[in-house]
Amino acid sequence: MSVVSTPAVTPRQKPIAEPLVSIRDLRVRYSAQDPFVLDGVDLDLFRGETVALLGSSGSGKSTLMKALTGFAPIHSGSVRAGDFDVTALQRGQLRRLRSQTGQVFQQFNLVGRLSVLTNVLTGSLYGAGAPNVFGTFRSADRKRALELLDRVGIAHKANEPARSLSGGQQQRVAIARALMQNPRVILADEPVASLDPKMSRTVLELLQQIAREDQIPVLVSLHVLPLALAHSDRIVGLRHGEIVVSGHTAELDADMLAPVYDIEEEEEE
Amino acid sequence: MSTSTLVRPKLDPRERERMERAFRVPRSRSIIGVVLAVAIFLWSANGAQFDFLKLGEGASNMGDFLLRMFPPDFSKIGLIMKLLLETLQMAIVGTVLGAVLALVVAFGAASNIAPSWLYYPCRWAMNIIRALPDLVIALMFVSAVGLGPFAGILAMTIGSIGSIGKIFAEAMEAVDRGPITAMESVGASKRQVIQYGILPQAMPMLVSYTLLLFEGNVRGATILGLVGAGGIGLELTTAMNRYDYGHLFAMVICIIVLVTIIDQASAIIRRKIT
Repeated sequence: MSVVSTPAVTPRQKPIAEPLVSIRDLRVRYSAQDPFVLDGVDLDLFRGETVALLGSSGSGKSTLMKALTGFAPIHSGSVRAGDFDVTALQRGQLRRLRSQTGQVFQQFNLVGRLSVLTNVLTGSLYGAGAPNVFGTFRSADRKRALELLDRVGIAHKANEPARSLSGGQQQRVAIARALMQNPRVILADEPVASLDPKMSRTVLELLQQIAREDQIPVLVSLHVLPLALAHSDRIVGLRHGEIVVSGHTAELDADMLAPVYDIEEEEEE
Repeated sequence: MSTSTLVRPKLDPRERERMERAFRVPRSRSIIGVVLAVAIFLWSANGAQFDFLKLGEGASNMGDFLLRMFPPDFSKIGLIMKLLLETLQMAIVGTVLGAVLALVVAFGAASNIAPSWLYYPCRWAMNIIRALPDLVIALMFVSAVGLGPFAGILAMTIGSIGSIGKIFAEAMEAVDRGPITAMESVGASKRQVIQYGILPQAMPMLVSYTLLLFEGNVRGATILGLVGAGGIGLELTTAMNRYDYGHLFAMVICIIVLVTIIDQASAIIRRKIT
């Protein structure tokens, strides 16, 4: 099985050698008694590529995302995201790192009672300035938020409470919120797990389009193999906290990705 | 893709048999729980001298009392309206001040917001206030600022911190964790997480409980008057002492009308915000 970690060649963009995110020999565990959730992970993320992260439940996908934003306790190894050494950040620096890392969640994590527009505007909370104490956002931010809603196709719902939207629409709002951060990277943790197949494709196409147009890496964890094969430039497979498969999507097929899913063992658990 | 056989762990046969029965024999711990609850109730009823026979015997006296209240005497309606208005004003000021202070203390008493060094003192403070009867708090303020509605307002405000503060804190603790995670993930400060992640989610509950507090304070204001802390309570006591039951009944009718109006208005507001 190929274990490679080279930048993917997208149709529109030649690879740029310098990774935006670089992980080396990363080991994470939540307490000294627990086994390592991530054990010696190496991964680079490059501009403009969409990387699908595959693996069974408990394989370490979510923990890898958390490690990139300082939410997981890193035992050893290095994690670099842009100018940040994630392993050595203080509280204020962590907030700055997070403000530049867009995140999309399985359950959307919108505030249902707030309007769609306000939900998107919360992406600009870091450095929102003093007026924000009174619940207001700068006019420029509001303009940009509406433009982003245009981009994800939800502008006509801007004034409606987020809870009134369908799952797919809510996830697009969440993507707009992530874009509001002007992110250097987008991490999407099972963003289509709660969506129907058609909406899943729409959301993944949108994420891939954002990666290419904005020239940022998008790391998206998925459970459905065909979706990963159809909507990513590169696939990384995790099993028991280790990368067991990594390669360009065009070079992989379902059989080559089989080691990622330890089906018998998972069901016995 | 590797092939696999589905593993089917077995359900305990005795458990299966129990679950299949239309009528199940309760588990021993359920039976013990019910017996214990009944025993505690009987022990409490005995200690509190709860007696249905006594109630039956006294029913005729109660009937006499109610008969003496008819017909209601609305000759002093001007005074009743003035005192009722004062009661309402006390309740409004007491509720607003109480809710604001309760919210401040609740931030410190919500485990998902406050650090432990702040959490426990805030919880203890609310427990102490809750343990003090409203009338005792009212008497304290009557002796501090003298007779009148101001003492009643202060008593209601402090009492509200104990009662509603705990519920506010629990409403904030019960919000969905997802939006909080999202706020933390965009680099929001603690204040921003509370402002945009917690408060909007807890707001329907906070408003609903504030309205409940207001309804309670309107009724409470009538009681606080008994110790001279303003409102219609003092006039109620005076009417009872003078056996002026017609006037007493007129006041009771006016209080019922006011509380019903407030209850209906609260229901409309609750529907709007939830």
